[in-house]
Amino acid sequence: MLQVFSVTLRGVFRDRVFQGILIIAVVFLLIPSISSLSMRQVTELSITLSLSLISFILLLLAVFLGGTSLWKDIERRYTFSVMGLPVTRASYVLGKFAGISCFVLLTSVVLGMAATAVIRYSSGIYPAMRPIVWSNIYLALLFDALKYILLVAFAFLFSTISTSFFLPVFGAISVFLVGSATQQVYDFIHTQAGQALPWYIKKIAPALYYVLPNFEAFDFKVNAIYGIALSVPGVFYTTGYFLIYLFLVLAFTSSIFSRRELQ
Amino acid sequence: MNAIEISRICKTFKGKRGARVEAVKDLSLVIKQGEIFGFLGPNGAGKSTTIKLLMGLVRPTGGSASIMGHDVGSHLSRKHVGYLPENPAFYDYLSAEEYLIFIGKTFGMKEPALKEKAEKVLRLLDLWEARKRRMREYSKGMVQRLGLAQVLIHDPDVYILDEPMSGLDPIGRALVKGIILDLKSQGKCVFFSTHITSDVETVCDRVGIVLKGVLQSVERVESIMTEGITGYHVRIKDKGADEDREEYAAKDEISEVVGRAQAAGSEITLIEPKRKNLEEFFLDIVKRKDAR
Ligand SMILES: Nc1ncnc2c1ncn2[C@@H]1O[C@H](COP(=O)(O)OP(=O)(O)O)[C@@H](O)[C@H]1O
Ligand SMILES: [Mg+2]
Repeated sequence: MLQVFSVTLRGVFRDRVFQGILIIAVVFLLIPSISSLSMRQVTELSITLSLSLISFILLLLAVFLGGTSLWKDIERRYTFSVMGLPVTRASYVLGKFAGISCFVLLTSVVLGMAATAVIRYSSGIYPAMRPIVWSNIYLALLFDALKYILLVAFAFLFSTISTSFFLPVFGAISVFLVGSATQQVYDFIHTQAGQALPWYIKKIAPALYYVLPNFEAFDFKVNAIYGIALSVPGVFYTTGYFLIYLFLVLAFTSSIFSRRELQ
Repeated sequence: MNAIEISRICKTFKGKRGARVEAVKDLSLVIKQGEIFGFLGPNGAGKSTTIKLLMGLVRPTGGSASIMGHDVGSHLSRKHVGYLPENPAFYDYLSAEEYLIFIGKTFGMKEPALKEKAEKVLRLLDLWEARKRRMREYSKGMVQRLGLAQVLIHDPDVYILDEPMSGLDPIGRALVKGIILDLKSQGKCVFFSTHITSDVETVCDRVGIVLKGVLQSVERVESIMTEGITGYHVRIKDKGADEDREEYAAKDEISEVVGRAQAAGSEITLIEPKRKNLEEFFLDIVKRKDAR
């Protein structure tokens, strides 16, 4: 598994998709000048923009690397040579997943350092009204990365049941969109206006709420931007949620892939 | 323990719209350690499918198989195996050297010994110059040779090679035959598929002929070669003659021809058996099967 992991990681670094996506990081250079347009909230804006930009880059990486990694191995028939080795199917998929996840984490560390520099520089232009709480910023970043690692797991799950990259890529995008909205839908149903909805929507929506991932739980951006203290139980809840959810998706993924015929 | 045991294995592919392909039908075969076995059959006979069943890439619809005592459903069965897929593809963003290191480590080899062995096989397969280049830039023949290198690197007991000579030039083919003979001298088991009879003739102990998913016949190559003798070309130098003359003797006439020559005081300079070769043997089986 360790071997599959390191070979996957090396593959990502040599991948053109990654190199292309990383060019977007150049946008970082624009953040200070855009932020300074706001006159007052320069620091806040630079934090918002930095976190959003990182989030966007991680999304692209998760969808395109996660969605094509396994598919590419099958499509290019690398699986024949690799599955002829004494590794189980499960350790192969998990090794690949670990490689991509580690890459997502590495990217967020590197981009986090870039963000640090940008935010520092921006706050120098126009001193912030509140002190910058760096730990909140890094925690927000970490949970954003975890969110995309969960998304990578979904992309892998779709890859094991599909023969093209269509399902993994668009499946992951759909999960992302739906997962980002589940909390809102759930909350809406419990408002006055929501009570007016037909009964079956009121029944199905909560079920979906529990089945689909709730990505909103991973969002600590507001705390980072305004330096609001984090709720410790909230952080633990999200961590637990992440671990359990990830475990379930990966268990499904490896059991499906173990059954798959490689033809 | 036998190297490979296949017991009544079947594989039926379900295609689109309910189409079914019986790629392998009720195939049984036992291959001993130290044996070189040629799996001969025309395209589409089911050779690759049989090999994929052995490697656990596809699951049998019936029957079972084991390698070195481990059922092929378990990854342990692959621990003692070097596998070369048909038209192989390897992580093309790696160089040949990196790939061999990857394979060696997967089999638990350690650094200094692994580096040494990698150099040895890279040189053997004439990839030493190209070892640092990404495989993306390799020709088909180079990839095929790397395929053999990654089989040899971890020194397994059993070699399962799907068309090892395909895509190679005559020099490469001779090299592969040499490697297989060398493995034989080391007491290794080699199971390889091919559709070319001459590949089998020169290196194999036994040959299995497969047609339309059915194993038709398993023979010792030696016995095909001896039993296949149909007659002899005899060169005779008569007393006082300047040049040899040649006479053909059918299988049962040979002693008569030799006796006659000796009685006349002639010298026999050469007796050459004329045999039905493996190719004819193979074509015979194909013809008989088609006639049925
Ligand atoms: N994945 C598959 N789906 C359907 N049919 C297949 C599949 N793989 C092989 N076959 C069929 O099984 C038969 C045997 O194929 P194969 O084992 O590749 O033959 P060989 O290696 O002897 O040329 C062929 O008729 C082929 O079309
Ligand atoms: Mg084949």
